[in-house]
Parts: sequence; structure tokens; C-alpha cells
Amino acid sequence: MSAMNRREFLRRGLAATTVLAAGGSFPSLLRGSGRRETRTKVLVLGFDGLDPRLLNGWLKEGKLPAFARLISAGDFRPLRTSIPPQSPVAWSNFNTGTDPGGHGIFDFMHRDPQTYIPTFSGSLSTESKKVLKIGNLVLPLSGGEVKNLMQGRTFWQILEENEIPATIFKIPSNYPPVPTKQRTISGMGTPDLKGSYGISCCFTTDPGIPKGELSGGRVYEVFVIGNRVEAKLPGPTNTFKKDRPEALIDFRVFIDPNQAVAKVVLPDQEFILKEKEWSGWKRVQFGLMPTQSVSGICMFYLKEIRPHFKLYVSPVNIDPGHPALPISTPESYAEELERVFGSYFTKGLPADTSALDNDVLDEGEFLEQDDMILREGERMFDYEFERFDSGLLFYYVSSTDQRQHMFWRLMDENHPGFDPQLASRYGRTIENIYTEADRFLDRVLQEIDKDTVLLVMSDHGFNPFRRAFNLNTWLFENGYHRLRNPWKQEEGSFFDNTDWSRTRAYGIGLNGLYINQRGRERDGIVNAGADSENLIREIAAKLERVVDPKTGERAILRAFVARDVYRGPHLEHAPDIICGFNMGYRISWDSPLGKFPKNVFEDNREKWSGDHMGAPEIIPGILVTNRRVRAEFPALYDLTATILDIFGIPKTKEMIGETIL
Amino acid sequence: MGLINTILGKLFDLLLLPFRSLNPWAGMAFISLLTGLLMLFIYRLTSNQSGIRRVKDKIKAHLLELRLFKDNMGVTMRAQGQILRANLRYLALNLKPLLVMIVPLILILAQLNLWFGSEPLAVGRPAILKVKLKPDVNVLGTEFALESPPEITIETPPLRLEESREVDWRLKPTAAGTFDLTIRAGDKSYLKTVVVDGRRLEKVSSLKVKRSLLDEVLYPGEKTLPGESRIKTIEIVHPAKKLPLLGLRLHWLIAYLGLSIIFGFALKKPFRVEI
Repeated sequence: MSAMNRREFLRRGLAATTVLAAGGSFPSLLRGSGRRETRTKVLVLGFDGLDPRLLNGWLKEGKLPAFARLISAGDFRPLRTSIPPQSPVAWSNFNTGTDPGGHGIFDFMHRDPQTYIPTFSGSLSTESKKVLKIGNLVLPLSGGEVKNLMQGRTFWQILEENEIPATIFKIPSNYPPVPTKQRTISGMGTPDLKGSYGISCCFTTDPGIPKGELSGGRVYEVFVIGNRVEAKLPGPTNTFKKDRPEALIDFRVFIDPNQAVAKVVLPDQEFILKEKEWSGWKRVQFGLMPTQSVSGICMFYLKEIRPHFKLYVSPVNIDPGHPALPISTPESYAEELERVFGSYFTKGLPADTSALDNDVLDEGEFLEQDDMILREGERMFDYEFERFDSGLLFYYVSSTDQRQHMFWRLMDENHPGFDPQLASRYGRTIENIYTEADRFLDRVLQEIDKDTVLLVMSDHGFNPFRRAFNLNTWLFENGYHRLRNPWKQEEGSFFDNTDWSRTRAYGIGLNGLYINQRGRERDGIVNAGADSENLIREIAAKLERVVDPKTGERAILRAFVARDVYRGPHLEHAPDIICGFNMGYRISWDSPLGKFPKNVFEDNREKWSGDHMGAPEIIPGILVTNRRVRAEFPALYDLTATILDIFGIPKTKEMIGETIL
Repeated sequence: MGLINTILGKLFDLLLLPFRSLNPWAGMAFISLLTGLLMLFIYRLTSNQSGIRRVKDKIKAHLLELRLFKDNMGVTMRAQGQILRANLRYLALNLKPLLVMIVPLILILAQLNLWFGSEPLAVGRPAILKVKLKPDVNVLGTEFALESPPEITIETPPLRLEESREVDWRLKPTAAGTFDLTIRAGDKSYLKTVVVDGRRLEKVSSLKVKRSLLDEVLYPGEKTLPGESRIKTIEIVHPAKKLPLLGLRLHWLIAYLGLSIIFGFALKKPFRVEI
């Protein structure tokens, strides 16, 4: 079987993450037919979650000189974000120049109205429909498919139609990458090799650490016997086998009896780590069946040797050198970057926030990992910036968002998770990432020419997540949601205690509320039309009046009715009401999973302590540019129209934004 | 054996000298050509050329017989039997030259493995140094130390593996060149050469072995460890070198055998060698 056929064969077999059968292999230097040289270039720096209030504050303190320089030469505006201001939604607004009604992404999670179960909003994987079963073997005879669910055309596809070259680096909501000959590499939404958003592993002898599945990770118990640890690294589901086991790689760790040093031995490689040391990328090969294997990359971190052995292994990323799933266009672009830089992070949001949340990594270790992500991205930016001679270059930074999520508690004394001791060490983490962004911008400003339009943007701002709102509990307490066994309110998940025959509304996702509508939901009871409309208005009005007894503040500033706020034809997955939370509030951790905790409000004591689920007017992103901005309060989708306009391309009829420069 | 290795080592250094900055295929092709010629020469000297010619003619004649009398079962069966016999005879005639050739061939392969088997270490990329100890050495009770020049950073303390009787270190080269590492085991010290980056074709000795005929034949890159040494082998784990060909990465042995055979067959006529 040739190398190409082998890969094709493998792709057909990969489970929930089945693969593109199409998508030719183009030499990456050929960006496609008809590349046109443009005198004006557009450079977009997308810093996820950069907040205008924080930016302003540190600008006033003189801590962001590059931003200050850019603003004095151009303009600074708060940038209207999406409803709701979640990254997949906001970036889809920017990518397509529409709102969720145009691109069909309303939340990280949608729901299946037939099962009331959350589904991923960004992509859909389907397995091969035709298979040949021989004993325990399952051989796929046709290709599976992985589909980007974002509707509409992206601005780089429109640029391509107009022969304007573009390079799009890790823009969110572009997994799998939309079809194009432009150079693109997928970002947020790209799964790990298991098809999940990232499952890390911790192998430990520590009896104090609970073993088993955690959110975003697993903890395995291991034993040190004769200075040796034996363990198995889990990989993707092996869909070539009828019982679909997890593919596993056996590995051993040899520990020095006195020194804090150990050797990790994988089937085809070995490496030595000192305590508190990262391994760098290691390629791992998961055997699926004789002659077939799939390649991934991961990092090992030897957290502790004594008294308790603790080895962290990052989520297994798709190997960009041999991508088992589509992560770039042309397909060879991911491989080109791998040839230049070696292995690199391919998982959508690469920083392992779950490991920090679960105490598998501490703050310092998390920051070490995120620093690697930052530096790696910067090297890739330099590589692209060096050859950026025409058209558009988009570059994305995730660390601004991830660090604000995880470290807000340490700069906010009013946060329930505030820890003065940790704050003395990490309280400036968020400030530091803003100054890091400034340092990066400074480098760009030194090299940029006058013909380049520079747009520095973020998709939304940030605010504290101090108090959690249990939407489903509120619906239950207010009679909109009924439980079969109310005395078991706090048990179960995914509405398994719900009496759908008497339930009128339910919450799924991070901002969404749905009416249990007849003809749409499997067990819908509310008639479409006036009944539904009245109920939506009634609930929306009540939600806006909900007051947190602890603080006396309103939890939900705006309860948006979908049909009032969205334009466009793709409303089939739209929630009926979108909750725009007040500053400091967010949906609880349990409610989006169809759970009913006892109290409507609770303190958020998690390390995930900053968020952006608020009403859009209190959480705008930023736009800083080297041109004058005409609009007072531009929106994300206005930037899309503006980019096209810079290249003399009229916006499409689906686009709702206006040119702002 | 040490003397033979030294002479052969110098010879290969000299032969490959013009090719060290070129694509490794150039050096490989040159050595394959020389080897093809050498093998032809040995083959011609040591084989029964007229006997080989006769037996090959016989095979051809019986093949013709097969074609001409394909309808006669008796004749074809007899012809096949004759072909089989002639083939066995042909193999027997080849046995002697093959036995003679195998000696220089093993020596050549061992030399080629030094040049084409491993990549030098890369600047900035860590590598493992492994010291395997003899069974009578107390792994945990012996003091081990590694000394290196400033161009090689020793990144870890010794990692002692009692089970596999091994002591490992992690090294990181910071500059290109050829350097000596000193391994101290108790009161004895041993040297190991390490090659970092350099030209496209570099001689790399991964393994230093103790004195024994077989090991000396197979690992001729460095002077052997003394017989009374506590150490069995000293190894630096190098990345394997592969020869790129049409998107594939070939093991050097495949390239060498393929090219040698091609050259051997191409030159047998001009040199009037019957194979």
C-alpha cells in the first residue's frame, strides 16, 4: 500500500474524527490560481479576549507603549462583540461578516431537539457508512467526513475569488478548514487525536489524588516497583476493531534511586527528564491493526519523583507532520510548518486549562506550558511575516484569553477564589500578558511599512466570574421546568430526571434557553406561534429581573430574544433566549449539562475565574489600528466588510457590516 | 583487529574525503561502484568461470527445450529436473566466491555504517549517553561521573538503572565539532568521541565496545575499551541517518546493496566476468 493510500485508509477508520477524503495535496508555495500582487496589505493581529477597560487602564499607567504609539498614529475603539460573546460565535461573526443568523453558530454547544443532549456547534464528524466486518476487524469501505458547521463564506474565501492571497493562522471556528487554496491552519475547535477538546493524563502514585476521569483529563494510579513505573498512554478509539477499544502505547519510566531524574522509554524512543522538566514534543505512534497506525504528538512533564511519582502527559495533538485529520489548507501547509519548526501545537486551544483546574499542573507549570505556546506561535508569525509581501495575514493569539480565564481570581480581591499567597506571585499574570502583547506589537510596528493596514483586534472583552447562575434550577423553581422526582433534584445529568410532558423551557449551552416547542422538540408541549412567543417574552422579562440575594445585583442584564437580534437564514439551532449576564456573573458549571443544583446562585471557586458571557455592551473587544476609524462603536462584522473594502471588493449581500475606515 | 580497523578507517576517510560536503548519495554511489568492482575482481579470481558459463548454458538449453517440447510432458518434466540440477550446481559454484567475499564485505559494511548509519548530534538537541556495565560492577555502589568540554553541556546527573546495569546522562551540544567525553567509573576513566553537526557526510561512532573479535569487527569506529574495563559499552544515541529518495527515506544498507548490484551487473561485461 503506498504512503498516500495508507493514509487514506487510516483516515477512513478514525472514529468520531473521520476525515476528508477530498482535499488535494497542493505544493504550499502555490497559493492557488491567480495570485494578485496588492500594494496595500492588511495585517490582522487577533488577541483573543483583550479587554478595552484593562487595556485603557494599563495604557494610562504607561505600561503599553506600543499600543499607545499605534493609537496616537491611528485609532482605538471598543469593538462590538457578538450575542452571545463566546469565541466561536464572535470569531464566526468576523470570519463571515454576518451574525449567528448568517453563520449558524450560537454557542460552544447546540442541542439536539430530539434527545435534549448538547452537541458541539463547530464541527460534525460522521464515520464511514460502509464497512466490512471480518471477525473483530472493521474495515471502512468509504470515507467518513468531518464538516465545519459554520455557514456562509469566509473573507479569505472571498479574497481568493478575487485573487488576493491570504494566510490565516489559527483563526477560531475554522476546523476543519473551509475549502480554499489560501494558506490556512485551523485553530480553536481543532480536536486532539482522541477527537476531544483535549484529554491530558497524569500518572501518579499519590494516594491523595483521586484517580479516574476528570473534566479534560484522566488520573491513573501507577506503582514504582524496583525504580520502574509501567503505564499505558491512551490514544484514539480504534475503530478498526469491533469493540472499539482505546489504542494504547506501553511505556516505562526508570527512576534513579537517589537523584531526581528519570528516563521515559517509549516503544521507539527514550528520553531523560529531571524533576520539573518538560520533554518537548514527542511523536507517538498508536497501532490500530497490523500495518496501520496513527501518529500523534505529546509532551511529558515530570512533575515529581519523590515522595510521590507524578508524570503529566499533555493531550495527544494531531501530528502536523502526518496529520490524520484535516488541519490546514493546502494539506501540505501543516507539513511545511512542521518541516520548518518541528512538531507544534495543533489542538485548538492548546493551553491545558483543565490540568490547572484539576490541580494536575500548578499555576507556574501552566504558565510554562502557555509560554511555550506563545513562543512557538511567535516563531511561526515571524516566518509568515517575513514572506508577507501581498494580500492579508491574520495571526491569532490564544494566551490573552486563556490567562484571563485562569488568573482573574488572583487580581480580584472580591473573587471567591482569591488567594493572597498565590496573588502575591501570580497577581500580575494578566497584566503581564497585556505587556507581552505590547512587546509583540512593538516588534511588528518596527517592521511594518506604511502601505500595510494594521488591525489589532479582540473578539470580546473580559470580566470576573464570581457568581454562577443555575439557569435550569431557576426554571425549575419558577415552574417552567418539571422534574419527575423533585426530591432527586440534584441527582443525574442531561435532564434524565425531567418530565418533558410538563416542561416548557430548558437551558443548554453557556447562554442559551430553549422553549420545549411542539413539532420542534421531541416531547415539545408549547405550541409554536403566539404561545411560544408569549412564553419567550414572559421568561425573558422575568430573567432580567432576577436578583442575586447575596449581592443585590441583577444576574442577567439582557435576555435577548433570538428573532429580535439575529439576521439571516440559519436560525435552526438558535436558542429562543440568549442570556446576557451582568458583570461578575455567568452560567454555572452544572446548568449547561442539564443538571439542577440546589441553589440558583453559587460562588464560583474554580480557577477558571474570568469569563465573557456577559451582555455584549458590557464586554466589547478592542480595535486598535493605524488608520482613522469613522464609526464610533464598530462591530466585528464591520471589520470583515472593511477588509474587503481595502482590497476594493464589495461586501456580499449576506454581510451585515459596514466599512469603518 | 585494531590494526585492520585503523587501516580500513583511514582508507575510507580518504575515499570519502571528496564527498563529505556533497549529497550523501554521491559518496554512497562511489563506494558502491568501488565495491562492485572489488567484488567482481574477487569473484573472477575465486570462481570457476568456465564452470559457471557451462552451467548457465545448460540452463538456457533446457529452457529452450521447455519451449520447443511444451506438448511433450515427459520431455518438459525431464527438462525441469535438469534445470533444477543445473541451478543447484550454479549455487554450488557460487559458494566459494561468496564465502571469500563475505569477509571484506563485512568489514566494508562496518565502515559504511560509521558514515551512513547515524547523523551527528545536532547543536541544541539533547541526546542520551548510555554506559552499560559488566555484571560484576555494583551500579549503585560505584561513583560515576562524566566530564565534557564546554561545547557539550551535561544536563542531568547520572541516572543509574540497576536492572539493566546502565548509567545514563543527557547531553546537549552547544557547538559543532568532534569532542571527547570522559566517563569516570570509580577510579577508572574512559573516553568516548562525540560528533556534533559538521558536513553532510560525517563519520559517527555511536558505540564504543570492549575488546572482543566480533565487537571489534562490527564497531570499528573507536579504540576498544580495555579488556579489564568495568564498562561493556559506551553509546551515544544518535538519530538514524536515512538517504532521501523520491519522498522515501532509505536505510543506507538498501541503497548500498541496490547500487552495488547495479554496478556489478553493469560492469561484468566490460570486465568479462561471468556471474
